[in-house]
Amino acid sequence: MSKHSALNTFGRSGNPAFTKNFGGSAYDLPLNQRMTLDGAVNKTGILLCLCFAGAFIGWNIPALLMPAWIIGMILGFVTIFRSPSKAGSTAPLYALSQGIFLGGITLFFEAQFPGIGIQAIGLTFGILASLLFCYKSGLIKPTENFKLMIFSATMGIALLYFISIIMSLFGGGGIPLIHSNGLFGIGFSVFVVSIAALNLVLDFDYIEEGAEKGMPKYMEWYGAFSLMVTLVWLYLEILRLLAKLRSR
Amino acid sequence: MNALIFGGLAIISLFIFFNLGKMKASSKQLNRNNRINRFGTQQNTNNIIEGESKEIVDEDKD
Repeated sequence: MSKHSALNTFGRSGNPAFTKNFGGSAYDLPLNQRMTLDGAVNKTGILLCLCFAGAFIGWNIPALLMPAWIIGMILGFVTIFRSPSKAGSTAPLYALSQGIFLGGITLFFEAQFPGIGIQAIGLTFGILASLLFCYKSGLIKPTENFKLMIFSATMGIALLYFISIIMSLFGGGGIPLIHSNGLFGIGFSVFVVSIAALNLVLDFDYIEEGAEKGMPKYMEWYGAFSLMVTLVWLYLEILRLLAKLRSR
Repeated sequence: MNALIFGGLAIISLFIFFNLGKMKASSKQLNRNNRINRFGTQQNTNNIIEGESKEIVDEDKD
């Protein structure tokens, strides 16, 4: 039992995709039915390929942006809250629909700031590789306190965005400053990018622990799905940050 | 030039991810007491000191 009451109340991970209790004890599954690192990485590769394929579609048919975003959100919530064990079928559809959304939104940013898309892709994967190295080498050690900090910050950002959307729906223009290209807006974006990036560390640790403890095979898809959720968020935030910097 | 630099960065990073991701984390990362225990299935045996535990018998309780 954790010493932190907040952890016991809200779950044990920063990423909402990791707050489910999967039951089943480790070590009692046959070897070929256990989660492996290889499997999780390969499945992340499949999801990335599907995301790029979706981005190609979204880039060429930007009208699909909003439907793809809504479908992606629904699939994401279904995977997290309804059927993590079905991640093998929902995660590829999620990656494809989010790819269409990212392709469409990147097209709009590209029209304003040429070359911004490839910069955001390079930085997203650059952060992914460098944080993976930091995690594997033990430079960054995720602990319960680390997880609590990232979880709190992630939930805070989600709440802020939710309030901002509600305010803009009622003609309020959203929360001032955080969307501006001033120092405060850029500082806020840097903070959000940092939190999204640190969520990757929790994803790596989750996959490592799942493979180490021999969790069921479907957890490979679930781990890859969680990594995709974080990568999509990180890419969007980097895109916003670069847009703010270039619009100054 | 922009596409070349950032495209190259993306490809190199993906190559690192697919190779490094399949490797086990270092012992510095795995063998520590303050690791997050999400699945709660492994018992921490570090608190048991070999040879120093003593069985409690009924006479000791009195």
